[in-house]
Amino acid sequence: MNSVGKSWLLLTGLIVFYIIYLLFGALVFSSIERPVEEQLRRDMDALKQEFLNQSCVSAASLENFLVRVLTANKYGVSVLRNSSVTSNWDLASSMFFANTLVTTVGYGHTTPLSDTGKAFSIVYALIGVPFTMLVLTACVQRIMYPLVIAPVCLLQRSGLEPRPATVVHFVLLLVLVVLCFFLMPAAVFSVVEVSWSFLDGLYFSFISLCTIGLGDFVPGTQPGQKYRPLYQVAVMVYLFVGLMMMYLLLRTFHKMSDLHGLTSFLQLPRCEDSDVDEDREPIVDEDSRTANHVTEKTASRHLDPASQPSYNTINKG
Amino acid sequence: MTLILLFSPASMAAPDLLDPKSATHNTKPRLSFSTKPITLTPREESEVVATVMKWKTVTAIFLLVVLYLVMGAAVFRSLEQPHESAQRLAILSQKLEFLSRHSCVNQSQLEELVKQVVSAIRSGVNPAGTLTNHSSLWDLSSAFFFAGTVITTIGFGNTSPHTEGGRIFCIVYALLGIPLFGFLLAGVGDQLGTIFGKGIAKVEKMFVHWDISQTKIRVISTLLFVLFGCLLFVALPAAIFKHIEGWSALESLYFVVITLTTIGFGDFVAGGSEIEYLDYYKPVVWFWILVGLAYFAAILSMIGDWLRVISKRTKEEVGEIRAHAAEWTANVSAEFKETRRRVSVEIYDKFQRAASIKRKLSSELGFSPAPELTLPRRTVSVNFNDERDKIERDAGLQGLTTPLTRNSGLYMNGLDPERGDISIIEHLK
Repeated sequence: MNSVGKSWLLLTGLIVFYIIYLLFGALVFSSIERPVEEQLRRDMDALKQEFLNQSCVSAASLENFLVRVLTANKYGVSVLRNSSVTSNWDLASSMFFANTLVTTVGYGHTTPLSDTGKAFSIVYALIGVPFTMLVLTACVQRIMYPLVIAPVCLLQRSGLEPRPATVVHFVLLLVLVVLCFFLMPAAVFSVVEVSWSFLDGLYFSFISLCTIGLGDFVPGTQPGQKYRPLYQVAVMVYLFVGLMMMYLLLRTFHKMSDLHGLTSFLQLPRCEDSDVDEDREPIVDEDSRTANHVTEKTASRHLDPASQPSYNTINKG
Repeated sequence: MTLILLFSPASMAAPDLLDPKSATHNTKPRLSFSTKPITLTPREESEVVATVMKWKTVTAIFLLVVLYLVMGAAVFRSLEQPHESAQRLAILSQKLEFLSRHSCVNQSQLEELVKQVVSAIRSGVNPAGTLTNHSSLWDLSSAFFFAGTVITTIGFGNTSPHTEGGRIFCIVYALLGIPLFGFLLAGVGDQLGTIFGKGIAKVEKMFVHWDISQTKIRVISTLLFVLFGCLLFVALPAAIFKHIEGWSALESLYFVVITLTTIGFGDFVAGGSEIEYLDYYKPVVWFWILVGLAYFAAILSMIGDWLRVISKRTKEEVGEIRAHAAEWTANVSAEFKETRRRVSVEIYDKFQRAASIKRKLSSELGFSPAPELTLPRRTVSVNFNDERDKIERDAGLQGLTTPLTRNSGLYMNGLDPERGDISIIEHLK
């Protein structure tokens, strides 16, 4: 079968598998969550009845009131007595919001109310998202050397073969990232946030660092949170560094699978390193000759139209 | 979006829009990429990653992002805070009105009710309205939709798992599903790029007859890509959402952009309100998300490329300007040095000649040797700055600098150096 046919087959296979995966997830979620939802519904019903029974409120006016309260709540405005008077749109919170916008996490705990805000969000996101991608890849490129290349070379020099060395290093890096960016922050969150358990903190870290950002847990939104602006800035920094580490992990994994022939086996694209840019400096100084050789190669490759950098070379840096 | 795109490096062939040639070349889908056996030696590894962005560039970009965030924060604050305060006042007055109208309800009871209701809402149960005709948020099609939002990392959040088991499963599910979706997106993007590339090739054939320049063709093809894609993946769905969901035009557009960039706030969700939807509505929305994501990935990468090009060009221009300035300064200072050297040499020469003439004269006339000859007519003394001293020092003329040369300008007292000797000899006479 020629390569075109093969790739179509691969694609359809992927789509089918993807649909199956979604269905499977749907089934599992449904079976886990639905009973709980039913129970909550019944509780709510009972609560409303109880309230209506012991008071002079009519059902209609209660409905009316509830709808208004819920609409306000959707935008983060609480009607409760002990809700703090801090706004959701002071500078630190707005910056937090802007950060969730450009990292595409998008919690949704506060969303723009006004039309102008919505229009501005659109423009801001369209520019900010590629911008953030650029920054992240630049930073990852930079830390790739001390965190990946140097240790792997070290491991190889101490006698390991290249393939096991990369595997060992990847496992070590994975353990380190999980420890520092999932377990530790989860512990911190479970202490700082009053109502979060350890699992909640872990769940939050994971959902945020994968940029899913469901928004059911958002740090710093509890009423009466001390040092709220500082806390939110700290969470922003954590998100950024965590995203960088996730990138690094994925990149390392991709390189590793390149090395192990996994990508060519699955006929997936190789992890290509992009062309040498002017604003880059060689970090392996002693191999200046080989570096020049690499630049020559990449420069000539640039001219070949088949290898034009595609639109997301930006992600490979 | 960011994580997903990492799984599809160099394969998403929305054609490099700056070069139509590559577009036509992309008729072969690039999923089957390289079939060479990979033999990487450790040295080759280090070769391949021999370069990295300069620290300066990285810090510059980072500072720019921080600035961008702060700017966005300020704008959001100024736009949203008044609305928020208004909302707050409105709802508080509602509450007071409710309490005053229904005097048998005391405040704590109401607070309790509201708290429960709000937490129920967070769990996805809406107590407002009758409960009988509610569809569950976890029936199969909605759960399918939720699973889709998790894997695409959009994460609306209008439904989210609340049991511990659900959350743990969500984590594991996302860990496996996100890479899977990344590969799928790569494949879809490939095919999209191929289809588009073929279209571009056809259009290009037309333009060849009209004899238009390459750059114009490129620009036109980029514009076409953007416009056509916008029409198909943004404008059309927005119109459909406006009609079916009852949102305003801006809200529909806002929903489309927020969804396709995988931000996914969840304040607007297609298929999330209490309307009776057609059966095939949700699957079609899901399919639109899939293809639209590929399109948006292309757009965002294009914007990123532009930002890069702009920054590079700005750097180049700045570099050019700096180079020009440096060149100019170097030229000027070199010329200056040269002139200074020439003048001081000339002056020294003339001085020596004058001294020798004087000695001859004095020996002929029997005068005693006069003290050190200085030009008394030196009334103008322009102070040089230290740089000129440095230049002269550099030029090794230090020994030749006399008070004369150090304290006078090129044209002493308006006298021309060429005529200086005449005045010396005149003075001597």
